[in-house]
Amino acid sequence: MAFTVVPRHGNTLKERMYLPSLIGGLSTTFGTFFKNISDTQAIPTLEYPEIMPTDITSRYRGHHRLTHRDDGSIRCVACFMCATACPAQCIFIEAVERNDGCDEKMPERFDIDLLECVFCGYCVEACPCDAIRMDSNIFSIVAKERRDFVVGKEYLLRVRGGYEPETSQAALGGEHE
Amino acid sequence: MNNVTITVNAQTLSAPEGSILLQVLLDNGVSVPHFCYHEALGVDGNCRMCMVEIEGQKRPQIACNTRVKEGMSIRTLSDSIMAVKRSILELELINHPVDCPICDQAGECSLQNYYMEVGLYESRIDRADKVRKAKKVDLGSHVILDQERCVLCARCTRFTENIIGTGDLVIANRGNHACVTTFEPQGLKADGYAMNVVDLCPVGALTSGDFRFHQRVWFLKSDPSLCHGCARGCSIFIDHYPQKYGDDLIYRYRPRVEREVNGFFICDEGRLSYKNHTGDATLTTPRYSGTAITLSEALELYHQKLAASGSGVVALASPSLSCENLTALRDYCLQYAIPLFGVERGSFDETFGDDFLRLNDRAANRSALPLLGISEDESEMNAALCAASLVLNFDNQTPVSVDQIHFCVHPIDTRELQIPIAPYTEQSGSIINAFGKVQKFASTIRRRHPVPPLHELLSTIKGLA
Repeated sequence: MAFTVVPRHGNTLKERMYLPSLIGGLSTTFGTFFKNISDTQAIPTLEYPEIMPTDITSRYRGHHRLTHRDDGSIRCVACFMCATACPAQCIFIEAVERNDGCDEKMPERFDIDLLECVFCGYCVEACPCDAIRMDSNIFSIVAKERRDFVVGKEYLLRVRGGYEPETSQAALGGEHE
Repeated sequence: MNNVTITVNAQTLSAPEGSILLQVLLDNGVSVPHFCYHEALGVDGNCRMCMVEIEGQKRPQIACNTRVKEGMSIRTLSDSIMAVKRSILELELINHPVDCPICDQAGECSLQNYYMEVGLYESRIDRADKVRKAKKVDLGSHVILDQERCVLCARCTRFTENIIGTGDLVIANRGNHACVTTFEPQGLKADGYAMNVVDLCPVGALTSGDFRFHQRVWFLKSDPSLCHGCARGCSIFIDHYPQKYGDDLIYRYRPRVEREVNGFFICDEGRLSYKNHTGDATLTTPRYSGTAITLSEALELYHQKLAASGSGVVALASPSLSCENLTALRDYCLQYAIPLFGVERGSFDETFGDDFLRLNDRAANRSALPLLGISEDESEMNAALCAASLVLNFDNQTPVSVDQIHFCVHPIDTRELQIPIAPYTEQSGSIINAFGKVQKFASTIRRRHPVPPLHELLSTIKGLA
């Protein structure tokens, strides 16, 4: 049977003396310690969660949200494009007749299972109505039970966008049909 | 008719002389966009979409109104004919609202398919300038009309006029204002065949009110099956979708072409009968005294009751059970000397039949009973029921006053023992229709917790005895 001899490290004289490595390590530790204690504002680590990051870009894909029309009604028309594009199959929609004069169709139920979601953003790309976005800036999603991670239409409509303009693409000057 | 040779895009085809060119092309897998032509409805020639180039003709011709002749040479893919098709499609789509996200036809829409095939042009008309018409007209009989999406191919009006003969639908007005409508106020009835216009409509103008917004069609799986609504046994497609965390649900039935049985159509009653076989409509667990019990408990109870009744047991079989189930049931009853009857009171509905597809006999497999030697003598059955102390009821709807054990597809409002058996959608088998045609059907629905078909259940029962 073929075998390979793996050379052992740590056999040089310097390594076997042990102290030079110890001193090298401790000098890094104490160097950083005194540097940080002299200027606490320059520490790169955040005291999360008391201090939240402020440098999240507008392209960051956070918690989903459903957007509103200018009249405040839901923008989604339940076309299922997001559910079709979703690679995790975590979007569950049930459509219903819409009678408010805005359109013919709207979601009765729009649930996203955030535990199954892979935050790829395909739903946002697929949406023909700019009805779903991931620009809420929310990166930390916490719940006590598994079923609490399945968020519904009302909750998604309450989530606010993290960037101006807040509500819709209309404010961006885009067409929104 | 003699077969002649024609050339299509440099490929040689053989076709009967005088047959419709478009049909020959479609049968040979040559894609030709078309709206108004339908095999069941014949040539109308109003949509002008099926243009082809025929060698020797000055201008492009519509393939639907052209008859096949010896030596014809046809081109469907040249640049000039593609330009013609593109401009005709642009005209068809000129006032289209492009509301595909909320249209139930999206995914099986000719306009979408042809746009991807021959269109791909930039629209030259602003949405604000398009002609607006009625968006959601309930025509009755579960048919919803959207006049804006209509291409005025007249398939629906020709169906009601030429196939059904009621002429419920007409095209009213002219030019930009032309639209499909009904004669007020009776709406669309079409003698119980109205929903076929939903299948006929090549676009989203006529959609099903029953299916409306329930599912997008690209999620649905289509599997062939047979309608069990009457003794004709029409060929259907079962469109179903297995939910991620739920059951395999049926969303609709569609007709499947079977020239010897139902042609291109099915009746509305058969089409809507999917509701009896999906979700909670069927019995899934055995029940006794109003509570759910396990199958082993149910079979134990069954044996106890059977032993207690001695020789006073009579079995009633539904004449809609498949040949496989009836054979297993007949063998079981022969083995235990239980008299078996295939009579079902109420399964003849004198008001149901018509001269098109529907038959008065509402049982799907009555023709199999004499072949399997199962008695159809009603007076003999009545005499046996009078003397009986226990009736084994295999999905038979005959009212019985004696204590019963039900082997049933649908839950029954009773405190007696009910043991579920699989509906035809969840098992394979064969049925013989009223005209003696043996037709096979396959299992289409896979439940999360499957219910055994009757023949499997009977072999389990035999194994326990």
